[in-house]
Amino acid sequence: MDFPIFHIDFIGNRMLIAVDAILHVIINHALAVGALPVIALLELSGIRTKDPRWDRLAYRLLKIIFIITTTVGALTGVGIWFSASLINPAAIGSLIRVFFWGWFVEWIVFVCEVSLIMAYFLSWQSSARSPEAKLKHLRLGIFLAAFSWITMAIIVAILGFMMDPGNWMSERTLISGVLNPMYFPQLAFRTTLAMVMGGMTMICLTYLFTRNDLPFRTTVIRAISSWSGIWMLTLIIASVWYYQVIPQHMLANIPVAVTTQEYVSWNSSLKWLLTVGLSFVGWVLWSSVRHPGQVHGAKYLASVLLLFAMLGQFERVREFIRKPFIIGNYMYANGIRVEDYPLLQRDGILQHATYAGIREVTADNKVAAGREVFEQTCTRCHTVNGINSIRGQLKTMYGDKPWQPEVIAAYIENMHGARYFMPPFPGNKAELDALSVYLASQQKRATAFNGAQTNGIPKPDKISASTVYGTLPNLANPHGEQQ
Amino acid sequence: MTAPIPRDIPLPLPAPEGLLEILLIAAFLVHILFVHLMIGGSMFSLVCQIRGLKTPDYEKLAYRIMQTVTVNKSLAVVMGVAPLLIINTLYAPQFYASSALIGDMWMAVIPLVTLAFLLAYAHKFWWNHFLNIPELHIGIAALETVLFLVIPLIFMTNVNLMLFPEYWPKVTGFFSAMLLPNVLLRYLHFVSATVLFSSLFFVWWTGRKTFRVEVQFSELRVIDVRRFFYAFAFGATIFQILTGLMVFVSLPAQGMSWGFTALLMLGGLVVLPAIWWMWQNLTRPGHLLDDNFKQILTCFACATIIMGIARHDYRENALADHKAAIAEKTINYQAAVKEAGEQAQLAAIKAKENDVAAPGAAAFNQNCAACHHATLPTVGPALQEIKEAYANNPDGIAAWTKAPGKKRPDSMKMPGFPQLSDDELTAISQYILSH
Repeated sequence: MDFPIFHIDFIGNRMLIAVDAILHVIINHALAVGALPVIALLELSGIRTKDPRWDRLAYRLLKIIFIITTTVGALTGVGIWFSASLINPAAIGSLIRVFFWGWFVEWIVFVCEVSLIMAYFLSWQSSARSPEAKLKHLRLGIFLAAFSWITMAIIVAILGFMMDPGNWMSERTLISGVLNPMYFPQLAFRTTLAMVMGGMTMICLTYLFTRNDLPFRTTVIRAISSWSGIWMLTLIIASVWYYQVIPQHMLANIPVAVTTQEYVSWNSSLKWLLTVGLSFVGWVLWSSVRHPGQVHGAKYLASVLLLFAMLGQFERVREFIRKPFIIGNYMYANGIRVEDYPLLQRDGILQHATYAGIREVTADNKVAAGREVFEQTCTRCHTVNGINSIRGQLKTMYGDKPWQPEVIAAYIENMHGARYFMPPFPGNKAELDALSVYLASQQKRATAFNGAQTNGIPKPDKISASTVYGTLPNLANPHGEQQ
Repeated sequence: MTAPIPRDIPLPLPAPEGLLEILLIAAFLVHILFVHLMIGGSMFSLVCQIRGLKTPDYEKLAYRIMQTVTVNKSLAVVMGVAPLLIINTLYAPQFYASSALIGDMWMAVIPLVTLAFLLAYAHKFWWNHFLNIPELHIGIAALETVLFLVIPLIFMTNVNLMLFPEYWPKVTGFFSAMLLPNVLLRYLHFVSATVLFSSLFFVWWTGRKTFRVEVQFSELRVIDVRRFFYAFAFGATIFQILTGLMVFVSLPAQGMSWGFTALLMLGGLVVLPAIWWMWQNLTRPGHLLDDNFKQILTCFACATIIMGIARHDYRENALADHKAAIAEKTINYQAAVKEAGEQAQLAAIKAKENDVAAPGAAAFNQNCAACHHATLPTVGPALQEIKEAYANNPDGIAAWTKAPGKKRPDSMKMPGFPQLSDDELTAISQYILSH
């Protein structure tokens, strides 16, 4: 409402964030949090056995980690900021106001992490000059692994807080993020999953890099498999713990049957994936510890992909249970605060949306006004023609029968009741009608939908340029004249 | 033209505004320093590599320069997070608006920087892979440098656009925002600063003992290399003052003030001794490049800090009225929200009283109305249809609700309602039939 509406109609706004964030999380978990301890372990083995092959392999693996984490990894992290501030500035802006110092501390840890990975990687060769230098270098690696875990532990607190309904209204501190019932299960699940993912990814790369030295391959893979195997056991415990805590906690907050059904199906898909994934990865690790030379690389690769899928599904379920809110009980996914609803439903959202081009629905402008309403209320999650498109949704519901505005309006009016994950409609009756007319008009001839980055914003009118509200007194300037 | 006045995010700032402003200026200067060293390193590496085609020693130098880029580019990114966070906090209504208006290019920063970094790694880590095709290697370096130069232009366009809300309605897409007054001149000023800071950095960097030990030139002398950078630093300083004057003259009036002008003049004055020393060191026999080097650096550091403060001062001047108007509108909007909220609460209490009178209606509205409209088929069939199907059979409705199935091919299966008691189901059924 207070920001020009950026919109990409093809891949959709949510998908843009999702692609960026999932990529970031996978790189963070598999190549930073989970892989760095393995590198330190390999370096330690090199020091202990005095066999230079360990050291060479560790350096080669670290080079891959270094290249990926300092390019795609770091930039997708910044990309979450960029995409979130384009797509839901009201939400990210509110979160920043509250979690500023949390993120500031996170930034300091991040600076340490980046400095450490550069120091660790770039001083690798020169540390070979003496055993003392080598031990010092190993210490860098251990610090690095610790810092990359701390970065994750902080961000999980912020994530956990965002989804803890109720807390936002009373206590806006990072501590309540840590103390919320989902923090420790989530952190345990992420940590152990990251460790197994990191170990498996390193096994895959080791498999590739040791093609010409099979005896050494066997030794290394057994070592990493044993390390990952121990984490695997803790991952199973953490998964069960997480799975026990989360559904209860979340189901208690879902009042509507249909949503519960959807949630259960999401969650059972996660359960199914976790069961299959953990069994398969566990089996591969088990055989890899016992007969490391006989496990084919494809099995390791399949394990890595399964672990990635488990993480992805976990994030999707986590995002699903956040709905209909983007900030629990404070702001809906459309970027409108719960508190704003009575005003917007009374006056109409177009009256209060700074960058709207039409303020009132008339008999002649229904389609155009409906488009504005759609832009303000639906586009944060839906496209017209792309991913999660409104055309697709309506087609599923009404098929090829002519879409009737009255029927659509009757549905949207009560949508939040039937599908709890959809926010209530934030406008007035006339706007609901206009929106329905607009939606129905999209059945046969959909118009291209562009955001402010293409269309710009309308010239400011009286509402946009004024600072007062109708007949209310000007509270900001009680002694001044009314504008 | 008037500016659109949005409302601010109605949550308090996390720290006193002054503290955030100081943090912003400091964090931004650190960020931009590493950005200069990153871009300048890439540019100089390219130049040296091209010169290396004739004089192979320059190719060795180019490789060494790329080693600094690897470090500086990572620091540039990580140091950029803090100013980004603070600008998001302090200027939410302006910064998010300008970002959205150039949204696709703004988002493109992420893949472009990623690509530039990957190219920089390919350039550096595969240095000896291209011995037979130096053109390809130079091509990679050139593409990397071009990307490094394009990215700041996107940032420049955004931070310029956020300063002038009255221009926002005129902007359609990135290029129209890029062509607004001052962006291109400021960009020129930025690029000359890149050359200035990076060449000064390389004068110092090539003067270290370790450099002499590590790089074994065959014909080139280290002093020649240093003079090469020193000359660039001097030239860039002169160019920097000229572009600075052009930026000053062309700055839109919105942010101008005497304080700002005084800061700029002070910043310019501080550099003058450095120019004098540099000129002496370059032209006078008996002077060494390292003469007064610390003083020269101090001059530039002071000038940079002053310019950083001036830059912030201009932004505050330009946005002062807009910020005040936003604050006013936010307070008034909150009052309107409160008023409407109270009205709605009263209405809700009244509605509840009505509900008590008709328990079936309340339970129906809560559980069924979302899918069953009075006259229209929405998700499920309309009440009218249900009434016809279950005339005089309220138990039938209750039984179906307990164990629903799928009757109609074109609508979805009805979910179960285990949370409803028999009494509630009966009330609902009666309500439906009596409706």
